[in-house]
Amino acid sequence: MTRRDFSERDIHLALDGELPDEDRSDFEAWLESTPEMKARSLRFEADRLRLRAAFAGVLEERVPDRLAMRTAGETSSPIARALRWRFAAAAALFLALGAGGGYIAGIRGVGLEALAEDELAEEAIAAHTIYAAEQRHAVEVGADDKDHLLAWLSKRVGVTLIAPDLQAEGFHLVGGRLLPAGQKTAGLLLYEDAKGNRISIYVTAEGEEKAKGIYQLETGGASAVYWLDEGWGCAVVGTLPQDQLLDVGKKAYRQLLAGAGMV
Amino acid sequence: MSAETTGMDQRRTAILAEIPRLRRYARALVRDRDSADDLVQDCLERALSRMDNWTSGENPRRWLFTIMHHLFVDQARRTKRRAEVVMMALEGSEAMSVPADQAESVASREIMDALQAISPDRRAALVIVGVEGFSYAEAATMLGIPAGTLMSRVARGREELRGLLDDMGRRRAIRVVER
Repeated sequence: MTRRDFSERDIHLALDGELPDEDRSDFEAWLESTPEMKARSLRFEADRLRLRAAFAGVLEERVPDRLAMRTAGETSSPIARALRWRFAAAAALFLALGAGGGYIAGIRGVGLEALAEDELAEEAIAAHTIYAAEQRHAVEVGADDKDHLLAWLSKRVGVTLIAPDLQAEGFHLVGGRLLPAGQKTAGLLLYEDAKGNRISIYVTAEGEEKAKGIYQLETGGASAVYWLDEGWGCAVVGTLPQDQLLDVGKKAYRQLLAGAGMV
Repeated sequence: MSAETTGMDQRRTAILAEIPRLRRYARALVRDRDSADDLVQDCLERALSRMDNWTSGENPRRWLFTIMHHLFVDQARRTKRRAEVVMMALEGSEAMSVPADQAESVASREIMDALQAISPDRRAALVIVGVEGFSYAEAATMLGIPAGTLMSRVARGREELRGLLDDMGRRRAIRVVER
């Protein structure tokens, strides 16, 4: 028996109960051997569950009288109906404007604000991904030359930079390096724990707003806990569980703020 | 009571039983609760005025969904044209805020919003198959399109929905932590 070729199309067929029974086991085997498609399939299934859950409540709602009565042979007032329609049309329009307008604003205006956060977090994650993986060339200046490292980075980045003490969290300073950050520069401090887990602290004088959050790329990998505070951006990046990263991040951030005289 | 009246009553009862499902489909199509119920009401009115077209033995659900879908398509066209007029009439008014339904969770609201952002054709196909559970063949007949077209609308709708949810999720993930 020849096994037919499957594609993403079959994921939809399977999900909707349209895949022929005789193809089912081959399809399952194909999914197992194609992690990307398996993930896609699970995702579509999850979205469908979420969609169903979102509308499930409607079935439990009491049927409005105007519908029940209409079916039973009575009519509702045409005036009330006309007024409601006008309001609904207005509401629908504003929803449409909100959605459409928001979409455009998402690219132009609102997006620009969010982009600053995105950029900070994404650049910090990119830097971490590249340098934390380096064994011999992870840093430009090592922890043994800490005073020089901090003086240099402070001067180049334009903030008073200290190296937070994270011994209580199990991390010690490995060293640091200077990085580009948009039109400016960023300083990266790399830390390591006894097991070799690394986190990086990314600091830049960029950013024109106040924001904070946790950021993770859709593709997974390292997360960033970040803060933006008008001309001062900081991200703590690592592959630690998010709770732990958040905890370490907060401790580092408080010390950085204190060190920079910003508290 | 004549046999004809009894048949009529049975039909009304059968239609009445479908109202919750019709309301759900309508809500997924147009989001706003009153507009959705207006759509259902239009559907019921049309159904009641054409009961003769409903051949006995035909599934009332399919029949009603088909009617409602056609009304939705007409309405979507009409709303598009009406939009400009309404916008002028409302300029400077305070009607800007549309209160969100308190009962909706963030996750529900997000997926409902995302659903509204995809094209009406794909939205209808995705909902009628994915939420209402009709087969491709049934759905294609109800929407009056070939099965292949239906399939591609379902697939594209799903893909589009996924992208929109990812965008929203990303934006939400950006704003969750306190200092």
